[in-house]
Amino acid sequence: MAFTGNFMCTSFKKELLEGGHDFTNGGDVFKIALYDNNASFTAATTDYTASNEVAATGSAPTPYVAGGGTLTNVSPTTSGTTAFLDFNDITFTGVTLTAAGALLYNTTEGAGTGTTNSVIILDFSGNKTATSGDFQIVFPTPDASDAIIRIV
Amino acid sequence: MLSVSAGVSVNPAGVGVRTTSGRGFTPEELAKQCVEKIIAVSDTAPPAIRDQAVTFGDRIESVILQYMQQVVRSDRTTVYNAINEAGHPELAELIRRL
Repeated sequence: MAFTGNFMCTSFKKELLEGGHDFTNGGDVFKIALYDNNASFTAATTDYTASNEVAATGSAPTPYVAGGGTLTNVSPTTSGTTAFLDFNDITFTGVTLTAAGALLYNTTEGAGTGTTNSVIILDFSGNKTATSGDFQIVFPTPDASDAIIRIV
Repeated sequence: MLSVSAGVSVNPAGVGVRTTSGRGFTPEELAKQCVEKIIAVSDTAPPAIRDQAVTFGDRIESVILQYMQQVVRSDRTTVYNAINEAGHPELAELIRRL
């Protein structure tokens, strides 16, 4: 089953209201895992899975490893009446991989450790391939209209 | 009955993906990406403001590119010396010529 657009996991919405996710810089540790086109995610997805995740590949300093790469949080801010957050772009270097989408998840949800609580599913709109090269994920402009996650 | 509502949403356009094959990103590519992160101007902005932002972006990109190219050269010098001092002058020379 292919990716079917970008969406937020329902469990994440609930955990937001429970104060389970801290997106401030230095707050919770979020990771992004890459998947091939056989991955099957829905809004009911609650946790990271290794099923259909791309294989470990690449070279130091930032290879792709099982579980994906750790993101750098950009603390939430506001513009007008909209609150939004951002992450720094992430690059996996020296990799050979093909990915059709990604899962962003929280490894320290609710002040825990080793958690895998899903946040959002990202559809790359088709397979993206790097061959002995770099694979970079670029987050959208962090503003009230375009930021990756917004509360309006 | 009083209720308060707010919409939590993910950008429908999601993220962008950039890839390379057989090489890493070049300083030119990275400088352009860097400026896109620093400067954003709306398509609906007044032409005078949009033109000014574009001109400023071009100048910033030129400066960033210059420093990125210098970073590559300087790091290569550091790597050359480390490998040379480790007793591999031929390998060091190959890296210097990249």
